[in-house]
Amino acid sequence: MDPILTIAEASRQIAAKQLSPVELTQACLDRVKRLDDTLHAFILPTQERAMADARAAEARIMAGLSRGPLDGIPIGHKDIYNTAGIRTTGHSRLLEHNVPEREATVVRKWAEAGTVMMGKLATHEFAMGGPSFDVPWPPPRNPWNPEHFTGGSSSGTGAAVASGMILGGTGSDTGGSIRGPAALCGIAGIKPTYGLVSRAGVLPLSFSLDHAGPLAWTVEDCALLLQAMAGHDPTDPASADRLVPDFTADLGKGVKGLRVGVVRHFFETDSPVSPATFAGISHSLEVFEHLGAEISEVKLSPLDDYHACGWLILTSEAYAIHEPWMKTRFNDYGELFRDRLALGGFIRATDYVQALRRRRELCLELKAAMAGLDILVSASQVAEAPRITEVPKWATLEKPSLTIPFNLTGYPAMSVCSGFGAGGLPVCVQLIAKPFAEPLLLTAAHSYETAVANRKRRPAIAMQEAA
Amino acid sequence: MKTCISEAEFEVMVAQTGLPLSAEQKRTLYDAYWMLEAMIARVNKPMPPAAEPAHIFIPEVR
Repeated sequence: MDPILTIAEASRQIAAKQLSPVELTQACLDRVKRLDDTLHAFILPTQERAMADARAAEARIMAGLSRGPLDGIPIGHKDIYNTAGIRTTGHSRLLEHNVPEREATVVRKWAEAGTVMMGKLATHEFAMGGPSFDVPWPPPRNPWNPEHFTGGSSSGTGAAVASGMILGGTGSDTGGSIRGPAALCGIAGIKPTYGLVSRAGVLPLSFSLDHAGPLAWTVEDCALLLQAMAGHDPTDPASADRLVPDFTADLGKGVKGLRVGVVRHFFETDSPVSPATFAGISHSLEVFEHLGAEISEVKLSPLDDYHACGWLILTSEAYAIHEPWMKTRFNDYGELFRDRLALGGFIRATDYVQALRRRRELCLELKAAMAGLDILVSASQVAEAPRITEVPKWATLEKPSLTIPFNLTGYPAMSVCSGFGAGGLPVCVQLIAKPFAEPLLLTAAHSYETAVANRKRRPAIAMQEAA
Repeated sequence: MKTCISEAEFEVMVAQTGLPLSAEQKRTLYDAYWMLEAMIARVNKPMPPAAEPAHIFIPEVR
């Protein structure tokens, strides 16, 4: 068995009875044991549950009753996804002993697909406050260099996937919390269209901006995971009632004839990116052109407009959720969460409504800009991961987010690794498609990822330990 | 950048929230408040009176 397999590779080997889900799970558990004291990706590993799931998967497969490509695949859940009978904390002292009775729709769907549940993964406190050192569990470390930040808030998922402790995991993305860790940990992560994946049973941060989605080593793995997440859920009021397409069927179709727009002002002037990030984006455009896509430039409103609108809505909605605890248990929150969120208490109702009106304008602007396009290209992060001790408290306010425009508009967006910067840490590119055009988005991302061929390079810490 | 409103005005806003802030916490938030002011100004650019918000009421509640 190769040291670290992708989901697609493991799935093929399991289907051919060349790989036992029990052996695969044990290999992942061994990595957790060796690496997690350094990486802190897990809040709660669930070894016994994992081995029980793996044995059940193996029995099904040997009996010819496989549940599909995720049967026997080790995964983890961000610790804002409710897991019945298993502690779900939001990485917060406020829910330190919280054991849900019901599980999130996505948790149930992945279990029904046969996944092996390896445990609960670290996050920023309530998906907003991090990296925090004053909450009950430490923040995860970047496997490419443990002195550095993973990005947030799906931090544990990013670290665990990149280091091979799990093959895929859940994330949530309210302003970039899937695409950020995917970018800084050098993996793939997709924020689907708003409404494609149920949010039921996921601790809310901002009702109109929260998206659930997967992170994995490759685009193909994200497609496999998304297939088992997507679908109408009557218990989520925002859930879209529409047929779920096949996300893997067209992955190899290529991008010939695709119309690709680049939002150059976002990453050149509005929020200038590092030379390595810029080079990665430029190269992605060359790759798309070489593969037969047509490239053009797109002009949108300044990134600051999208950021202000998104941040005001996010913080207002989050404050409304947390206000009772903010008044009674303020100092039980970590400093980063409570200070960032407290600003939400100062936003007037009229400013929230103005942000919603502006949101509609920006949605219409993006729709018009994409009328003749299939894919947009932009940056997801400005640079490689900073040192974990150097992330400012007001990081999310000081510079406009490159990811939040697509939370605000609900468009599907994805981070894909484009290479490595001067410090040896990953950089990435962000691809965006029209609502519910995930098959096209995944096809474009897979074409690019295959062309740049950087998926054989894993963090040294994972390879050294696995050798 | 500097927060535009005075500390006295900020005190009133803090009181309205009911948050149990220490003097140090108030100072931290006051010093950061200019970023919120800038965002609020950005979304309050003129719009047609009939410009609808992104959230509209749907009578068939799901």
